Amino acid sequence: MANPTNNVNAANPQPVATLDDVKRINPLVPMKARVTRIIEETSDVKTFCVSTIGEDGQPVAPFRTGPGQLAMLSLAGVGEAMFSATDAPDHLQISIKKVGLLTEQLHEICEGQTVGIRGPYGNGFDMEAMKGKNVLFIGGGIGLAPVRSVVRYCVDHREDYGNLHLIYGARTYDDLVFKYDLFETWPKVPDFKVSVTVDKGDDNWKGNVGFVPAFIEQLHPSPENTVCILCGPPIMIKFTLGVLNKLGFKPENVITTLEMRMKCGIGKCGRCNIGSCFVCLDGPVFSLAQLKMLPNEY
Amino acid sequence: MLKAFPKDKLTAVLDTLAKQATLWVPSVVASVSRFAPYGPDREVQLGANTVMSPKEALFPATEKIYEYSAYGIDGEFTPVDPSVGPQILFGLRSCDMQGILCLDDVFLTRGYVDDYYAKKREEATLVTLGCVTPGPDCFCYAMGVNPAEHEASDAQLFDLGDAYGIVARTAKGEALVSALAAAGLLVESNKAPLPTGDFVLKVDAEGITEKLQHMFDHPLWDAFSRKCLNCGACAYICPTCHCFDISDKKRNAHCGVKIKCWDTCMYAEYALMAGGHNPRPSKKERVRQRFMHKLRYFPERYGKLQCTGCGRCIAKCPVNLEITDVIQQVREAKIDG
Ligand SMILES: Cc1cc2nc3c(=O)[nH]c(=O)nc-3n(C[C@H](O)[C@H](O)[C@H](O)COP(=O)(O)OP(=O)(O)OC[C@H]3O[C@@H](n4cnc5c(N)ncnc54)[C@H](O)[C@@H]3O)c2cc1C
Ligand code: SF4
Ligand code: SF4
Ligand code: FES
Repeated sequence: MANPTNNVNAANPQPVATLDDVKRINPLVPMKARVTRIIEETSDVKTFCVSTIGEDGQPVAPFRTGPGQLAMLSLAGVGEAMFSATDAPDHLQISIKKVGLLTEQLHEICEGQTVGIRGPYGNGFDMEAMKGKNVLFIGGGIGLAPVRSVVRYCVDHREDYGNLHLIYGARTYDDLVFKYDLFETWPKVPDFKVSVTVDKGDDNWKGNVGFVPAFIEQLHPSPENTVCILCGPPIMIKFTLGVLNKLGFKPENVITTLEMRMKCGIGKCGRCNIGSCFVCLDGPVFSLAQLKMLPNEY
Repeated sequence: MLKAFPKDKLTAVLDTLAKQATLWVPSVVASVSRFAPYGPDREVQLGANTVMSPKEALFPATEKIYEYSAYGIDGEFTPVDPSVGPQILFGLRSCDMQGILCLDDVFLTRGYVDDYYAKKREEATLVTLGCVTPGPDCFCYAMGVNPAEHEASDAQLFDLGDAYGIVARTAKGEALVSALAAAGLLVESNKAPLPTGDFVLKVDAEGITEKLQHMFDHPLWDAFSRKCLNCGACAYICPTCHCFDISDKKRNAHCGVKIKCWDTCMYAEYALMAGGHNPRPSKKERVRQRFMHKLRYFPERYGKLQCTGCGRCIAKCPVNLEITDVIQQVREAKIDG
């Protein structure tokens, strides 16, 4: 196999998907894809690598996604939900937290399983507009998933961006997702500072203990020529915004993602409507300045 | 001179059209007035608008989108053909034609097309009928709709007293008129269409969108929502409401079908997210969403009101939460700050 992360053929001798499956038939119908690899991040978060088969018979990403874009993942007979996606040439990567029916079932599947996938949806982060700036990433819990696609983009295009700083927190050490990136890959990137905190310390953890907002205050990152990318649970966002405001970050330089319940992903079903926006089309990425113009209903 | 067919030829006209396409006519089915496929025993009711809107011909209440199967780790997704073949919607009022334009905005624009709607819309010929006697709950004039005729239809019918005049507006309309002419059903008439009578219900929606831009936190929403039952009747009968759910209908453990079905922001589960967070937790937020969407958000996004003044929700709301009353009170409301 050309791709060491792909063990579909080992698990299942049949072809993983046909050419026709790759064709996007219409935006409400998923294409057939396979989970080629599953990475256990924490006790309730798993990362799924999803591939279709390209013209040359090799696994390919079902579609390309920009940082912050979304994919609708479905399990036949169980359901469908929206997730942030990161792409590599041969797969899409989706990190999923177990919270309910569908996500619990997704956590039960094994490598080789057929899933449905449709997308890409959403506006994604405007990486052009961030060029030449320092980037401060702030993530909480599974909120690191959308942030990670931006981090990866900045790392891949290192010369286009200034200093990078990630501040990330989770409940405990065991709840930190993407530990390999946090502690191995990213600290080696030039001018990239990684600061991690946990709410509750334990024997596994020698670093900072405390909530993200307080940790930010303690690190007092400079707002100078800096864009802040912020994703996490609503309560963390709320308190973090207060701190960022105190530090002098302007609303147009604070960028976050919104989560609304979604069904169609294409601005039709009405589900993710806030004001005259549809989060699946006009979002999920919004600057704080844009959010201030929307009704406070998210 | 206007092409026309005498009213006593209506059955012959419908019989002719029904040979070409599925013909939807306003009628009463199991004591509910709605658009229904024409057939030998179908009684056509052109005198008053239907209780159910005609949107179901283009956007069915439940519709299959794809079939799925799952055996072990293997699954398949097979799309369902969105085509239902040629359809003619006969005798639409202007308000309902306007409702279809709202659906067009949603389903056909903004980057993505909903194939299920698009195919049916493409296959449909829309024949509108000018209104002579507005119903007691009608207020289309106030929503910028002309009850006498609608320029977006394929063919327009006019009530001439003893006959219906017909004017084709598009190639599809031409084809329909030619078919009637070929069947020898059309005559020339020099009568003028009967004028639209007076509206009983008076309301003025001028400036409503701009006013609502400053009223998200207004106490009026508490007052409006108090009596709402969140029954959703208003949304189901509305010609412009387009929200839908996508859900599974299992056949057995291995296969089933994915369906697209009507849904409404009036229901509490509509916006409920994993973890129990609900951006619209109470009736107040849901009622506000309904009226804000129709009168403010939709106009901001698509440049037209998402209410056509058909009056259905006024007639059917069990607690008389009337949109004209909402409009009136919003216009009179004081905004502070
Ligand atoms: C823009 C966006 C990006 C997201 N990115 C990620 C991500 O990267 N990783 C991740 O783990 N999660 C992500 N989510 C959240 C994810 O979509 C939800 O957690 C998931 O839909 C709920 O999973 P479930 O079906 O297992 O829960 P369910 O079993 O359906 O339900 C659990 C609870 O959520 C409610 N619920 C039902 N259906 C939905 C639905 N479609 N969406 C939300 N709540 C629902 C139920 O009423 C119930 O209270 C994202 C959501 C959005 C909108
Ligand atoms: S909101 Fe009421 S009056 Fe307006 S189009 Fe819908 S049903 Fe008709
Ligand atoms: S406004 Fe009336 S019809 Fe609509 S949900 Fe409330 S009670 Fe039901
Ligand atoms: S998910 Fe359907 S409109 Fe956004």
